[in-house]
This record gives sequence, structure tokens and C-alpha cells, in this order.
Amino acid sequence: MVSAVPPPVGDPMPGRGTGGLKGWIANWARTATTVLDGLAVTMSWMFRRPLTIQYPDKIPQPVQQMLPETYRGILELDVRLCTGCLQCQKTCPIGCIDIVVEKNEAGGRDITRFDIDVSRCMYCGLCSEVCTFAALRHSSEFEATQPDIRNLNLHFVTKPVPVARHKPGEAPPRAPRGSILKDVIPGYGRRPGKAPDGGEKNR
Amino acid sequence: MTDPVVHAAVFYVLAAFTVVGAGIVALSGNIVHSAFALFATLFGVAGLYAYLSADLLAVVQMLVYVGGISVLVLFAVMLTSGLSDTGHTNPAFRLAGGIAVLLAVTAGAFVAASAVPTGVESAVAPTTGAIGDALLGPFVLPFEVVSVVLLAALLGAVTMARGWKKGGAR
Amino acid sequence: MLRDVATFLERLLGFDPATFDYSWVTAVVVIGAASLLAFVFIALFAGPVTWWERRIAGRIQCRIGPNRVGPQGVLQWLADGIKCFLKEDLVPAAADQGLFRFAPYLVFGGYMATFAVLPFGANLVAADLDVGLLYLLAITGLVVIGILMAGWASNSKWALFGGIRSAAQLVSYEIPSAFSLMSVVLAAGTMSMQGIIGQQGAWPWEWFVFKNPFLFAAFFLSLTASVAEGNRTPFDLPEGESELVAGYHVEYSGMRFLWFMFAEWGNLWVIATIATVCFLGGWQVPGVTPAEIAASTGLAFWGWQALSFAVFVAKASVLVAFVIQLRWTLPRLRVDQLMITCWKYLVPGALLNLAGVLVLLAVVPDQGVADWAIRGATLFLGLALASVFVWKARAGYLADRDLYRRMEGKELWYPPYRLP
Repeated sequence: MVSAVPPPVGDPMPGRGTGGLKGWIANWARTATTVLDGLAVTMSWMFRRPLTIQYPDKIPQPVQQMLPETYRGILELDVRLCTGCLQCQKTCPIGCIDIVVEKNEAGGRDITRFDIDVSRCMYCGLCSEVCTFAALRHSSEFEATQPDIRNLNLHFVTKPVPVARHKPGEAPPRAPRGSILKDVIPGYGRRPGKAPDGGEKNR
Repeated sequence: MTDPVVHAAVFYVLAAFTVVGAGIVALSGNIVHSAFALFATLFGVAGLYAYLSADLLAVVQMLVYVGGISVLVLFAVMLTSGLSDTGHTNPAFRLAGGIAVLLAVTAGAFVAASAVPTGVESAVAPTTGAIGDALLGPFVLPFEVVSVVLLAALLGAVTMARGWKKGGAR
Repeated sequence: MLRDVATFLERLLGFDPATFDYSWVTAVVVIGAASLLAFVFIALFAGPVTWWERRIAGRIQCRIGPNRVGPQGVLQWLADGIKCFLKEDLVPAAADQGLFRFAPYLVFGGYMATFAVLPFGANLVAADLDVGLLYLLAITGLVVIGILMAGWASNSKWALFGGIRSAAQLVSYEIPSAFSLMSVVLAAGTMSMQGIIGQQGAWPWEWFVFKNPFLFAAFFLSLTASVAEGNRTPFDLPEGESELVAGYHVEYSGMRFLWFMFAEWGNLWVIATIATVCFLGGWQVPGVTPAEIAASTGLAFWGWQALSFAVFVAKASVLVAFVIQLRWTLPRLRVDQLMITCWKYLVPGALLNLAGVLVLLAVVPDQGVADWAIRGATLFLGLALASVFVWKARAGYLADRDLYRRMEGKELWYPPYRLP
């Protein structure tokens, strides 16, 4: 049984001004005491430890490692697991995933292009939801500053890769989180990055 | 600082400031510009008081006219409804300006024609104490009467602003 | 007039370097140098104090504050200033061009003009006017006009609201401010700033703030009214971000915006200075009388000047820190609350207080036994208030200390002098 909310005991603001001279004086007294109380509170905070995490340099460990597992960072694809089903491309509301799958000479299918335009991605996570094989997942990487916005169109496939054909439970373990992006993001880990065409400024 | 030419130069700069401000008050087509120019004029007058070594009067001029009256005039102008066309809000400015110029010319001619005594060097000394003694000594009655007049004006303003309820009672 | 022009021409044509009266040239140079010094002081105060305020605000809000530009971020203000210099100076197309461009200078000029009478040390004052305190109250009229001008010339409703609010606020709060400062004038018997300081002593029990309980109250009344006149939180309605974006300077950018900011933080110094001069004994150095300072010569004279300047700056800095902390403690008042605070509480309160000061000054002879008893009691009252404050702050800290240690595994103690 839910107990009823207890009735308020007394006036929450004792001595509140009720008009007249008495209220006038009470309001003065209340102003003085509450301002003193408030100043004491803020003064006590001057002696407490700040909570600020001083990103990016004065931190004990990289922020990427401090983020939770469910953090939706830059998308990364483990090509070894991708079956080329195109579900992610179809479900993307923005259309920032561009996949091309072609037949090869051996009669199988090759993924010849798997581009994700991170500059347009809104990190909704729909593509990783539909990916049955856990090939496409969010990493915890978020530092995407680039001198050229075209650098953010990430090419996960540079030469044709045959599509994955694993039986259930036989798939190789997925590459560690964030390890793939190292080779995909131009100038990863370097700040500031360099434009692909020799550092020319692009507006 | 006893050079008479410098003295004259300071006076003419202050006078020009005051007169130009007054000219804009009368001649501007924009009533807000007029209000701001009135502030400049009053400020110039305060400067003239200071120039004549009336220190208390200059500061009181600043306090009452520059800080008070000017702001109230600006308030009145800005809170008046129907001043949406701020570029041309003073339709009678030609008439007013004409009268002002006429008066100025007449006054100037009168001053030029008459022999105004000038050049009385006054000692630079604080006047506050003397004014205070005079106001609370020989002039205490006029001083208090003026404050009663001001109090009456204040009460009248409050009464009019509060309005009257139906049936004659407030 | 013709005679003056003729004299002028005659003097110009017959210019003789030997007989020329150079005194006014010297005067102009001295005035120029003094203005430049005041300007440099405002710049050197207003700049770093923005950083100081942001550091205090940071710690109060569990943050650190700017600490990147220069050691601990002390050069942050330079970076901000350069940024403002390099920004485009925008003038809205529908604005009143001339007035819009002129208003920031009027506001800044109003604050600059107060420095004419503000003392910095024993002899460090530009002009010790006989009507100094009244001049201080009067010259702020320029600021009101400048703010109204900025608000109207911007041709924006937010700016106009801000300007009108600011003007209403300044005009209203000038009254309690004048009343509470008038009690100091009564106690000192003069309106000259140096004269008021001369009537006090160097030790706290000789200050006007502890002279009697009414002057003690007048100190806080005057400080409240000054903070309101300076448009600072909790009275910063003219630029209330939540309603008016930025108030009267919403349309300004670049250097013109910087003039407003200059005036705002320069005014922090003016608030602190007025309170220090009128209530906290000004620059008086313990153990030496003003007459002895005036009588000293040579190196000793300049040593006393430097020492008195240091004492003055120290007192003013404490007050600046207090006003800054006040800003980050109290929420902003509503417009009607602002006017109620002034007209229903501060004005009658200050008037009653003035009457109390009058009665005490008339009844209690100066330097008598009763006078010293009242001074002692008031000083005790002040110390008691400070103790309650420290006790409350300590209690607030202790209430959370153990919980923090359990949850975070770290000590909560992190005093302001430990810089992260």
C-alpha cells in the first residue's frame, strides 16, 4: 500500500512576509540570512575538488577507453564478417553508406566498395542494429577532425574482398573495438591531420 | 592656467557644445535625436558651471538634469505610442526650428548691442559649505517652501496616476 | 567675442617662445597623461579580473575555469581581447548609424570619468574634488544615457528593452545609493574622497563600517545599490540572457562590444573603490598618519605611496572577490522584484538608516567612551557575522566530505590556491 504524501509541517518558508510592518521586517531578516547562507554554500564549494576532465591532454587515460560499451562513436566495419547483404545501406535514413558487390571470375561475390561518409552519419545506430553478423558496429572513437571533409568518407574496402560465408558459430572473432579505424581514418592519432593532396586548404 | 586666451578658448568650446546641442534639439526631425542632443546641451551647461568655478552647481546640474531629467525625457519619448517612424517623428521641427533661430538671432543682437559686464575673475574655491550654510541659514524658508511645492507636485502626480474609482471614492 | 578672436590672432602672429605662457600646455600634458594612466589601469584591471571571475565561477560550479592561455590561463583576457579586435564591426542596416557607433564610447567615458576622483593611494588621486562623492553619483548619468542610446540606436526590441530596463534600474537605485553614502558624508563632514579617508583610521575599529550599527548596515545597503547600478547579477536584468539575449549590447560585435565589457568590469573596480573609500578606511596604512605621509620626502614619500596603494588594492580586491561571489551565488531577480527591492525595501530602509546615523552622530560625542563602546560592539557584530559565515561554509563542506571519500576514493579538500 502506498502511503500518502505527509502533509507539510509548518511553513516551508518561516517568517515569510505577510504584508505590513511585521512582514517588511521579516523580509529584511530573511534576505540577510538567506544571502549569508547562499554565500556560505558557494564558499564551501571553493574548497572542493573540481570534477572537470581536462580533455584532451591532462587526463589519466584516453577518453575513448573511459566511454561505455554502448557509446555510439564512428562506425567501423570488420570486412571479414561482412556478407554483403546491403541491409545497412538500405536501412540508413541518410544514405551515407555506399556498398558495391560484384561477381568475380570464380563465380563468387566480391565487395569492391564499402564507404561510410562519417561527415553525414548521424549516429542513429540503425545499421549496426540490422547487421546480423556484427560486422558493422559503433566504435568508441569520436575524434574525427580533418583538414578536408572528404577524408571523412571512410573507405573500408580498398581492394576487392570476397563476401563472408560462415556457418553459424564458425565466424572468426571480431577485431577489437577501434582497431580497424586506425587504417581507415587518414592520419589517425595525429593532430592536426593533413589533407590528402598535400595540405592544401579547402574551404 | 591664467592665460586669458586659453580661458576664452575653453569657454567657446563649452559654449559651442551647448549651442550646437541646443540647435539639434530645435532643428532635428528625429525626436529621439533631439532628446539626446538635450542631454549634450545640459552637459555643456554643467561644463560652463564648472568653468565658472561653481563646482557644486555643476555637479548638481549633472545629477539632476543629465542623470535625471534627460533620462526621464528619453523615457517619455520612447514610451510614447505611435513613434514607429523614428526617422521623422517631429513634424513641426521646421516651425520650431524657425522660431528658435529667430529667438537666437534676436538674443544675439541684443547681447551684441548692450554692454554686458565681463571678465570678473572669481577665486577658485569650494562653494559647497557656503551654499549649505546659505540654504539652511538665511534662505531656509524659501528652500522649505520649494520642497513643499515639489511634495505637492509629487502627491498630485501619484493621485492622477492612481485614477478615481466609480462613485467618486478612490 | 571679436575682442577674444583679435587677441588670439595677435598672440598667434606675435608668437614669442620666450614670453609664451607654457603652464596650460603642461596642464594639458598632465591631464592627458593622467587619463592615459587611468585607461591603462582600467585595461589592466578589467582584463585579468574577467579571468579571475571565471576561475571563481568555475570553482563554485565544480569546474576549473580557463587555464590554457599562459600559466593557469592568466592571459585568457588577452586572447579574448585579440579575438574581439579581429572580429568584424557590424552595424545593423536599420540601426541609427551615428548613435550606434557613439554609444559605447559614452558608456566607457562615463566609467572613465569616475577615475578622476577615485583615490589610489595617499597622494595618488587625479583630482580631489570638494564634491567628489556627489560627482561620483552624478557622472554615472553618462552611463545611463549611453546605455539608453545603445538600446535605442540598435533598432532591436531586445536591445531597447535592455536599455530601458537599465535606465530604470540605474535611476531607481541611485536613490538608496545616495542615501547610504550620505550617511558617510554626515559622519565625515565632507564629500571629498581624501577627506572621507582622512576622517577614518587604518585599524578596523577606526573604519566607518564599524563606527556604529547603522553605518554597518549602510555599508551593505550601499554595496547592494552599487551592484545594482553596475548591472551585475543578481540585478543584471538589462542583459538577462534568458529573456533579452544580451540586452542593450545584443547588436554589438568586435571592438564596440569590448568597450561595453571594459566598462562593465571596470565598474567592478569603481564599486569596490567607493565602498573601500567610504567604509573601509581607504588607503590608510596602520601605524602612520596621513600627515606624516604628507610630511615625508624623497624615497620615503614614494615608499609610503606604494605601501598605501598596496593597502588600497588589497582592500578593494577583497570586495571585488565578494561581489564576484555574490554574482555566482544569487539568482537573477524578476523585473517587478527588482523594483520592489528598490522602492519598498532599499529606499525606506536607507532613509531610516540615515535617520539612525543622524541620531547617533548627534547624541554620541565623537571619540568619547560611548563612541568607543558602540564601535567595539559593531566590530564584535561584524566578527560574529564573519564567524557564522565561516562556520556555515565549513559545515557545508564537512557534510559532504566523508561521502565523497567513500564514493570517489579521493580527498574532497581542494583549496583555491591548489591550482589544477
